[in-house]
Order: sequence, then C-alpha cells, then structure tokens
Amino acid sequence: MNNFIKKIIESGSNIGIPTVIIGGLALPAYNVARSTLDIDICIYVDSQDQLNKFVTNLKKKNIYTKQKPKITHDLFVVFEKKNEAEIWLKPCDAFDWDKKMLNKTRSFQENLEVLAVEDFIITKLGRTDRSSIDISDILQILIANKDNIDWKYLQYRLDWIGLTDDFVEIINVFSLDIDSRYRNMAKSVVDKFKKSNEE
Amino acid sequence: MEKKKGSSRTPINISVADVERAFKKVKEFQKILEKGKTPQQIFEDLVRLIAVDE
Repeated sequence: MNNFIKKIIESGSNIGIPTVIIGGLALPAYNVARSTLDIDICIYVDSQDQLNKFVTNLKKKNIYTKQKPKITHDLFVVFEKKNEAEIWLKPCDAFDWDKKMLNKTRSFQENLEVLAVEDFIITKLGRTDRSSIDISDILQILIANKDNIDWKYLQYRLDWIGLTDDFVEIINVFSLDIDSRYRNMAKSVVDKFKKSNEE
Repeated sequence: MEKKKGSSRTPINISVADVERAFKKVKEFQKILEKGKTPQQIFEDLVRLIAVDE
C-alpha cells in the first residue's frame, strides 16, 4: 500500500479509530473504476480528545494540517511533502456515522476498509454538491453489484436520508429503451429493487 | 448530528446514453478482471497516479 495512505490509516488504527477509504478511490472495491485526483479518507471519532490524538499521531509521521480540526467539522486537509488527503469526520457532508454503518464496513485489502456498498451509494446520492459523476458512479455500482446489494438495507438508508424519490428516478432509467445487449441486466436491476419493495 | 435533506441537490437527469455508457464501463472493468487484475491492484494503480511514495 502507498506509504502516505498507510501512515494515515495507522495513525487511526493505533488508537482504535476506524478508518475507511471513500470517494472515487474506493470505487474499485465495488468493481467500478474511474480516474480521480483526490484521496478521501473517513475516520470515526467520538470525542475531540480522540481527534486530537489522531492529529498528533499524524504529526509524528510528518503528516500535517494547517487547520485546527474540530469534532464538529466535516473534514480537514492533511499534507506530506508532495501528498495531500482530505480526512472526513463523517462519510458524507449530508449525514454522520451511525453504529449500523460502522458495523457494516468491510475489508477491501489488508488494513484497508471500505463502507458497505449500500452506504457508499448513499454517500454519492446524498452529497449536497452531487454531480453527474456521482450519478454515473451510482449507475455503475448498481450494475456491477446488483446481485450482492442488500436491497432491503439500501431501502432503509434511502428512507433514513429522505432520498427514496431520487433513487427511484435512477432506477426508472433502467426501464428505458436501452441497447438490447444490456436490456436483461437492466431488467434485473429493476426487478431486484421492486422485489425488495414488495417484501 | 442532523441530516441534511435533499431539496438543494441537483435534479437527476439521466439519458439512455448515460445508462448505456455505465453498462459499457462495467463491462470494461470486468474485462480487466478477466485478464487477471484484481480490484486491489486497480486501486493501487489509481493511488500511484495521485500519490507520491517518498
């Protein structure tokens, strides 16, 4: 693993702070990839003291921030000579961590965790500055993970964040008159969503 | 901490071409996996593009 990312993750894990990769860099964990320029890492801290310890650990590894991170902030930026990363204190600017989300994180590779696919979708859909890139990511994640998604849990999260209508709009596009090569797979996405609605 | 509701977000506008492009990209990713690369290796490749190992 890249040394910079490794040092950030170790700064958390050494003091029991859960750490996950989020944003575009996490996409390969969901069988999707695109170019990205950002390193976004999300940590779960439940006190200012814990956050201070994390920042101190980073300093010991020559990773600095120009900010004074507070537990109430969304994120802060850290630097190391030629590297830079955003450290998020919540998985998305629209919502905070909860226990369920924390318990559902999964290992992507040794010492590297990611959010459950359903929660990752919500981070993309929920962003206050959501862009067409986020929507494209969601489409690809749905296609690539249609057989693995816990559709019931996804519905729970959509309701929780109040974005069911937006998600239904996305699902509806799979019913459009698309290329015959993709029609069966598209139908399968729609069916799985509908089935979880009926259960 | 409060959740922010979705009213200020950009509306969702997806065309048929967008969906077809998404299918194509997923297929391309699958082809890379079939050639023997793992999602973990693809992650490392992406990291190498944006981070410098000192």
